[in-house]
Amino acid sequence: MAPSKKKHVRSESCVIPGGFTELSLQFSSDSVSQHKLYVKEHRVRADKSSRPLDRTLFVLNIPPYCSKAVVTELFSQFGTVHYVELCDQPGSSQQTEPTVSPMFKPAEKQGFNVGYIVFKNATSIKAAKSHPHDVPLVVSTEQHPVKTGVQKWIQQYRNSFISTDKIQQVVDSFMEDYDKRKEMEAEQQRKEAEQQQEDEEGWVKVSRGNKGAKARPYSEAANQRTLQKEIKKKKRKELLNFYTWQHRKTQREHIAELRKKFEDDKQRITLLRAQRKFKPY
Amino acid sequence: MTPSDSSHEGQETETPLKTKRSRPDEGKVKEPAYHRVKMSRSDLYKPPTAEELNQLKEAESLFHCSLLKMQMEELLKEVALSERRKQQIDAFVETVTKLLQAVPDSPKVEMSDLSWLSGAVKVPFIMLPKSTKGKFNMAPPASIDLIGSYPLGTCIKPHIVVDLAVTIPSDVLQQKDDINQRYPRKRALYLAGLAQHLVSSSEIGTMRYSCLHGNRLRPVLLLTPPNSSLTLRVHACPPPGFFKPMRFHPQKNNVRTEWYTGQETSQSESSQPSTPHYNSSLLGDLLPRAHLQFLTAVGSQCSAFADGVALLKVWLRQRELNQGTGSFNGFLAAMLLAYLLTTHRISNTMTAYQLLRNSLNFLASTDLTVNGITLAKNPDSTAPSLSAFHSAFQVVFLDPSGHLNMCAEMTACTYKQLQHEASLSMQFWDNPTVDGFHALLMTPKPMIRTSDHVFQLCDLVKLHSSCKKLNLLSELMDHSGDYVHTALPVILSLLQQGLGQRICLLTHSLSAAPEWSVASNPPKYKDQPPLSFGLLLKPEMAASVLERGPPADSPQAAEFRQLWGSRSELRRFKDGAITEAVLWDAKSMCQKRLVPRQIITHLLQLHAAIPASCVRYVAAMLDDVISTGREVPSTGEEESLAVVQSYDDLSRKLWRMEDLPLSITSVQGAHPALRYTQVFPPLPLNLDYSFFDREKTCGSLVPKEKKPCPPYITPITVICHMEGSGKWPQDHLAIQHIRAAFHIKLGELLKKHHNYTCRPCPTHLDVWKDGFIFRIQVAYHREPQVLRESVNAQGLLVVRDNEEARAVEMATIHKPLLTSTLHGLQQQHPCFGAVCRLAKRWLGAQLFSDDIREDTADLLVTSLFLQPAPFTPPGSPQVGFLRFLHLLASFDWRNNPLIVNLNNQLTAADYTEIKNDFMASRESLPGMFIATPKDKKMSLWTKRAPSIQMLQRVVIVAAESLKVLEQQLMDGSQMQDVRVALRPPLDVYDVLIHLIPKQVPLLKQAVDPPAVTFSQGVFPGGGFKSGGALPVIDYNPVSLYLAELRDAFGDLALFFCDPYGGTVIAVLWKPKAFIPGAFKMSQVSARRLEVRGEEVNAVPNVEAILADFQIMGEGLVKSVEARTDKWSV
Repeated sequence: MAPSKKKHVRSESCVIPGGFTELSLQFSSDSVSQHKLYVKEHRVRADKSSRPLDRTLFVLNIPPYCSKAVVTELFSQFGTVHYVELCDQPGSSQQTEPTVSPMFKPAEKQGFNVGYIVFKNATSIKAAKSHPHDVPLVVSTEQHPVKTGVQKWIQQYRNSFISTDKIQQVVDSFMEDYDKRKEMEAEQQRKEAEQQQEDEEGWVKVSRGNKGAKARPYSEAANQRTLQKEIKKKKRKELLNFYTWQHRKTQREHIAELRKKFEDDKQRITLLRAQRKFKPY
Repeated sequence: MTPSDSSHEGQETETPLKTKRSRPDEGKVKEPAYHRVKMSRSDLYKPPTAEELNQLKEAESLFHCSLLKMQMEELLKEVALSERRKQQIDAFVETVTKLLQAVPDSPKVEMSDLSWLSGAVKVPFIMLPKSTKGKFNMAPPASIDLIGSYPLGTCIKPHIVVDLAVTIPSDVLQQKDDINQRYPRKRALYLAGLAQHLVSSSEIGTMRYSCLHGNRLRPVLLLTPPNSSLTLRVHACPPPGFFKPMRFHPQKNNVRTEWYTGQETSQSESSQPSTPHYNSSLLGDLLPRAHLQFLTAVGSQCSAFADGVALLKVWLRQRELNQGTGSFNGFLAAMLLAYLLTTHRISNTMTAYQLLRNSLNFLASTDLTVNGITLAKNPDSTAPSLSAFHSAFQVVFLDPSGHLNMCAEMTACTYKQLQHEASLSMQFWDNPTVDGFHALLMTPKPMIRTSDHVFQLCDLVKLHSSCKKLNLLSELMDHSGDYVHTALPVILSLLQQGLGQRICLLTHSLSAAPEWSVASNPPKYKDQPPLSFGLLLKPEMAASVLERGPPADSPQAAEFRQLWGSRSELRRFKDGAITEAVLWDAKSMCQKRLVPRQIITHLLQLHAAIPASCVRYVAAMLDDVISTGREVPSTGEEESLAVVQSYDDLSRKLWRMEDLPLSITSVQGAHPALRYTQVFPPLPLNLDYSFFDREKTCGSLVPKEKKPCPPYITPITVICHMEGSGKWPQDHLAIQHIRAAFHIKLGELLKKHHNYTCRPCPTHLDVWKDGFIFRIQVAYHREPQVLRESVNAQGLLVVRDNEEARAVEMATIHKPLLTSTLHGLQQQHPCFGAVCRLAKRWLGAQLFSDDIREDTADLLVTSLFLQPAPFTPPGSPQVGFLRFLHLLASFDWRNNPLIVNLNNQLTAADYTEIKNDFMASRESLPGMFIATPKDKKMSLWTKRAPSIQMLQRVVIVAAESLKVLEQQLMDGSQMQDVRVALRPPLDVYDVLIHLIPKQVPLLKQAVDPPAVTFSQGVFPGGGFKSGGALPVIDYNPVSLYLAELRDAFGDLALFFCDPYGGTVIAVLWKPKAFIPGAFKMSQVSARRLEVRGEEVNAVPNVEAILADFQIMGEGLVKSVEARTDKWSV
């Protein structure tokens, strides 16, 4: 795409309040319509090593057919791209889960993405931001065609085959890991329990932490159960319809109940009548 | 109406449901929303008065809820005549009376001389035979009185008809005029004279002739005031007591054969055939005033009489029993109540509700075809006996004089229908789980939606020849040439005999009284609308192909042979018996369902000389759209059975599996194909391997890029629960991995023991067996629980519901349960599956598949079978489908939950609980609320869809489709293409994406399949070879494309497509997305920013989106057609 770009008269880059710069993007060189990407330098208060502040470009509105590889390719004209991260909503990256093989991850949504592009040099950001808005970036080129539609789906179908051995291998290694983790946890617990034991001189180490909650029920459900039990106990002790006033009260309650129902029904009828629900034909 | 319009409307009418979204809207109608009443404490607990106590108690004890009482009161208010209306009627009656009294005299002329009539008015009578004796002159009426329902106070809306009796002066008539139609003809002439007098009057809007209850002997004149809908029916009557009632004894003859046939016969008067119908129609004219007096006397004693009659009339009208020849009309309803009152079966103090209930109870338990009833207290000696009436009429109900059978024209079939309806009503009345009021009085029951099969006799003139063939000439004379009603009872009994055990009820339409203008001659009998007959089938017998008769040597054999004619043949059965039998040819289920059709056409042809071309059988007209197009026409029952059998075999093999680390505790199907409700059940295919690429590593086929899309092979989901054990990890990810290991292990074992080709994946195991793909998913019953549990900061184990857990629960618990329950339902109701498939085909074709999902649709259909009131469970796919549409269109989704009582697990208390919960939290619940025994509060199946706007749209389209279909089915003269109801209106959508047909794998299932075909890599003629490479499974470019579109543009537009071979994707922009909104970082997808000064707005970048439609569907999309300019913001 380089030669065509040079013919253009240098036009201004388009800046939008909020600090964003508009970049045009089209699928192939003969496409008529363009998507607009909005870019600005990544700026957040909390410093994160994976997105260095000075070298990261924040991009909005990346179309679904732009994979990481495509984005890398697109932006390498502004300088060497170190690393690209795509996610469907702007925000901090969350990579807290233990490493899972991609085959066990849920299918990703194929929508519009936001991207964090980490360049090698800080200068590339300036280059990207000053890119003229009427010179579009082109997604699919002769050298790097992007598959969409039927071709892509057939490719996907082909990729969905995973050999049994590979699955087995992944499962085995994960389970090994898992067992190890469990063992470690058990070990930890055992150690903590040991610490609760008296030492030779009869001292017990008492510390803050979740051990302090040991006397309380361990789960919400159990909590509820104890509460219920209490209420039941209370009820059992009560005498019903023993005094005259109690008897009168139940009768009054009954009439009130009937009245309430009558009133309820009346309301419903008015509502239905308002909606003309009584015309038989 | 466009969907966007309807969505606006949705916002207006459904505001109480979505208070969150409601915008300030001037045009909004203030609707009283339902709020639980908060009565103040003082109101609730104030001391009750005696009156209030009584009222409360009555409501509690008499009605199972006071709601029903109030509902009936409201209904009565709705049908009662307003005071204004009554004044209008009185004024009009007065005008007409004045006009009629001024009828001028005319000179006496011969009856055949019609010269005194001007050309503008014709005589409302078919003068056959022509010859007639006697003289006639016009004279002013002797008296004019109101009769019938209006003076009695039982007249109800709509179609207000007020009866006016005009007494013919006695000097116009002669004593012997009752013979040979002289009196009826004079009466017709008299009416023509009245009409001639009135025709110039400006106070009368329109004037038409009709005949009373379709009886051509009793013409009436209908007068309508200008700009009003009420009708004044003018009867001409003889002076009271002019003829002696004993002359109309049912065994007397009043129409002489020689006069009627015009041939001299040597019969004496005593040997003439009796003319009971002729007699009763004449007698009926003599008595209306007496009847009115009687009814007024009875009614004045019972305060609720008029209301009771009104309710009974509404009940009859909803069942189409109140109009036409031989109907149980309002007059009979009043007479019935009078009978019950005079015989003290009901007391004078009862309420309207109790009157209705008791009369239905009486009807259900009394058979008037055998034991007639009489209102005559002490009949005079001249009155004929009941048995005399029984021998002449099919249904007997005598009037107070004891001379007139008021049910003279009624056929036994109509009475049986009445009885059936009454007993059905009694059944669900007491059922607290049914909305009794609605089923009883609010739901119309037209024949096409009530009867399982319907057929029509089109060319009624053929019935004339049947009268000859059936030797009914004297009956024809009795009916004065009305060959339709002469032949009808005989044909009915013939069909009843032939259909025998296959049906539980045979009904027929009551032909409506014709109306014609005063300036034209009365219509001929053959011009009447076709007669319709309805069959209510017994599901277990109806489809039998064999009619087994008596043993060859028994005396009944001759009778059997006589009935069936040449179709009867001697057959030897396995038990050694040799009997007469008729074998009907039918192979597939859909042909077997039509065996009654073969019987009917055969019998009518053989005995009544009605050719098959005159019989229009309306029962399987919709089968086409779900037929699987094999050599034998089939609607998929056989194919479904094959799938289920193959699955049963697989399930057995899984159960027997050993060498698994944990044992299998249950194998359950979780796919519509395993409950017979898959629209197009999977078929085993014979694949052309050269058509595909190969994937080397797994030995599986892969679609080729340049070739058309391979056939779609549905994976049939099977859930396989493993036993619970301490070995299961209590961590979500670990469970997933263990599951994958199970899939691998199961696959290995199935390969080893049974040599099935298997393909394990982390999420499932595909097994290729008998040409079907079974997708086995291993499940662990505690998984949803594990997903819900988490430990919070305090170290407390908390259980929180979440999306993921619900999804797992749905897939591994609810779906399998539903599948097995519905599988059971199919065993009870053989046409359940077919109804589901028709319903889902319609939903698909109308592009609603993603709003009313498969399981939801199945549940809706299930409710038709489990709670059919006021109908019986559907007995044919067509009637089930029509009721499905009616349910969608008429159910009050906003105010009521639809409760589907699967396996009858819910009690009445549960129903109340569900309803109360529903009312209490209506606003937060989905628009379509379906409760099942396992899901009383959430409506799991409709949580996601349909949205309220889409539900509105579905309701509108369903009502429209139902209307079109019912018209097409009941009217033979219209263009016959029921597929009209399955072609969606596309003009409401904003963008249409046209697809390349070759890439649509299910193209053959389209509503209008394409004429040109192309190879999909399948050899014709089915058959499955085991082994070999795994076929292409679950590869459907259209659904992949749709998923991508929805992912990318779901917040901007809705996408609709017919999953069964649709080649168009319809796109509807969401109006909300096109309101320019302030720029937000999270909402810039597919939008561009517009800067106006300081303001930055994000608007959808429509051109780029349209281009993306093309790019993302490369190779699948033919063209993108933008149809509206709505997006130009």
